[in-house]
Amino acid sequence: MNKTGTDIPRRDPEQVMRLSRLGSLHQCRLSFMRQLTRRLVRENWTFTRPIFAIDDNGVGYAVYTAQGPERVYSLVAFAHDLSPEQRSDRVIAEAWDATFALFDGIPTEQDIQRLSQNVPLQEAGRVSESELSLSRANRSVRLWKHVVDRLAVGQQPDLEQIHKVGYLMRTTAVYGSGKFGAADREKIANRPELNAPFQAEMLSVYLTRTFVRDLVQHMARTKGGVQTADLDPEIAQWLGIGNSTGLGMAPFIVNHPVLFNNWIMAREEALARVRSLQSASEDEARHFLEIFDRSKLSMSWWRSEHPVQIEKLASLNADLAAITSYLDQKDLTQDDPWDRLIRWSETALGEEGQELLASLVLEPYGDLVDGLTGCMADGNAQVQVINGGMTVDQLRTAIHDRFGWALHMDWSAEANCARAWYVSEEKLEPRLGERFEEPIAEYEQPLAPARDAALAYADLENWQDDRSIAEFLLRHPEHRHTIRRAQIGLVAPYGELRDNTISAGVMPIDMLRAKLSFFGATHFDPRSDRWVRICMYAGAPYPEDLNAKTADLWVYPELSQ
Amino acid sequence: MNVSLNEVEATAKRATRGAGYSWGLAEEAAKATRWLCAHGQNGTGALAQLLQLDLASAPQTHAPSDLNGEWQSENQLCPLVTGALLSDFAQRLNSSPIEIRNIAVPALLLPFAANAARLLKTCVCVEYDHALAETDGYDLSLGTPFPDRAHQVSVHLGGQLTAPTPHQTRAEPDPTDWAVLNRFAHRTYAPATEESRLRGAGAGLSDND
Repeated sequence: MNKTGTDIPRRDPEQVMRLSRLGSLHQCRLSFMRQLTRRLVRENWTFTRPIFAIDDNGVGYAVYTAQGPERVYSLVAFAHDLSPEQRSDRVIAEAWDATFALFDGIPTEQDIQRLSQNVPLQEAGRVSESELSLSRANRSVRLWKHVVDRLAVGQQPDLEQIHKVGYLMRTTAVYGSGKFGAADREKIANRPELNAPFQAEMLSVYLTRTFVRDLVQHMARTKGGVQTADLDPEIAQWLGIGNSTGLGMAPFIVNHPVLFNNWIMAREEALARVRSLQSASEDEARHFLEIFDRSKLSMSWWRSEHPVQIEKLASLNADLAAITSYLDQKDLTQDDPWDRLIRWSETALGEEGQELLASLVLEPYGDLVDGLTGCMADGNAQVQVINGGMTVDQLRTAIHDRFGWALHMDWSAEANCARAWYVSEEKLEPRLGERFEEPIAEYEQPLAPARDAALAYADLENWQDDRSIAEFLLRHPEHRHTIRRAQIGLVAPYGELRDNTISAGVMPIDMLRAKLSFFGATHFDPRSDRWVRICMYAGAPYPEDLNAKTADLWVYPELSQ
Repeated sequence: MNVSLNEVEATAKRATRGAGYSWGLAEEAAKATRWLCAHGQNGTGALAQLLQLDLASAPQTHAPSDLNGEWQSENQLCPLVTGALLSDFAQRLNSSPIEIRNIAVPALLLPFAANAARLLKTCVCVEYDHALAETDGYDLSLGTPFPDRAHQVSVHLGGQLTAPTPHQTRAEPDPTDWAVLNRFAHRTYAPATEESRLRGAGAGLSDND
């Protein structure tokens, strides 16, 4: 990543990579959904619905295609009639209201026939190299019923209810990258439209949203007949797609240190560039103020019943008031305006408010920061190969630089290692257990880099400084994954969490939110310490409304005139 | 069956861990198996064969005991341990060949020789008893099929890729080998208990709201 004209350095990983801060991240210009919608407009993609074969019971299938400059992609959607007792968002569920595959091209009848026998089974089925993602969704029972019932009697749904829930269906997994037989990431990584992270998955969810809107209209018409109202596009716009995310996403950011580093570093570099501006034009200042006001409106719709998030929202609301008052008093055009704002936020706001500002100040500067989206993929496979020529001393330094805080902790103390991450034989669901209460320790996954770093460091202390790490690893193969991480850390400064992932107090939802914020998710609603619901694409234009005006800022609701 | 390379890698990693290797070596085995499959070789078969030898139960007796001179041990060498060492010691190839005696499933050495080739930005030759393989890290060229066990292996710089094998984007593991890997992988999964089901994921079982 080239540094261009930044006097203000990127923030220190020590500050950024704490779980509480990562658990306070917000979407920004670099988010994957916004990258996608900008591209769809810039490249003039076209969308069609060649098949919509859903019966009166809501059972059948539909195909939605997206045609880009070089290639076409199709969402193949299957709608099912699900009984309430089968409706679960856990990995261990076995049936869903709707199931999907993103097909690479336009599926033939034979493809659809093949997919119809596999996609509804999800993990128990098999897809092929022609499929780029596999996903499923369940209805939000409360909102689905409300919308169908209202439309069927010729009325529009209540917008307040829509804002309260945010979506008609929520996905409970979107699998890509070769899972269950789908195409590997390598197949698509060199396509410009899918090079940035998770673009296939984001496209799949985007098309899913259109399908769900069409399906609810279809079901309302089936119920209401001729008196059925057409869903008002202004209201439909506020229907996003929910996502219910469990623990599987937390290991992802530990298992992909280079990729995660690239996301964080891109945002930190963007922030550093904006902070380095000595002045801002009246237009840029005005744009920021408008986005801030629109953001406040979106925040006002954010609800959660989880005590931790309730507290965070209270803090965020206090921060919003403080920011408003700051912006009323201070000029944003002179004297390093953005750096001043960020410095002030660090003294006056909580982490929710600080990270909101860190995202929002990027908004007026697309020309300055959007190019960083090209740095967010992980194309560096070679970094996984250990450099055995490095000396013991160099490795000790590398570990100390990242895990100095962890090296002298008592890792046998129960509070410091109370938890263990494991995979259940039950549909391979990722879980987090209590090491001292459940028989899970022998199944522990390597998801405690800080503890493992401390263990490796202790053994390294008994070795001579100038011995090669290759010799050490021959005698200590148990530290091999830790030595690899330490070397990766040398090229990925933001790749490592600076917190204990197995402590009694760890909040896995912080890891989930960090990842989901880069997708561009909003309205994080934790349901427990390890399970969160979010909203995607609420406010976004549907394919027929995609244009230069709607492509990017849809995440911020327009203020009513 | 036809599987993605990501599935090969994930299954190989779990299987190797399940067979008793460290996580770090399981990661090496996963990348190595994937590399072999991506170059049209029977990587899953090689790993299945290795794991059934149960070398991880006495790891030190299957690791080179002395790094000066020929790499050998009182028992046959494990190709994962030896391969990782070869990759870690890649720089040594600049000064002399690495000679290895009595190694199991030598096909698994190749991906590590490929690591060395990429690190050194040159071609690396792996000479087995009566066979020869060459790689620049990205392509692989080989003559006769690999033996199950090699008495003598020599790894040195040089060679040229006369007829590289075509790259593959999928693998077709033998069902028996795939079942072996999955059986080992299963050892890494915690048994399903009602308590774990309710507590471990932190989510309820119903999604009706």
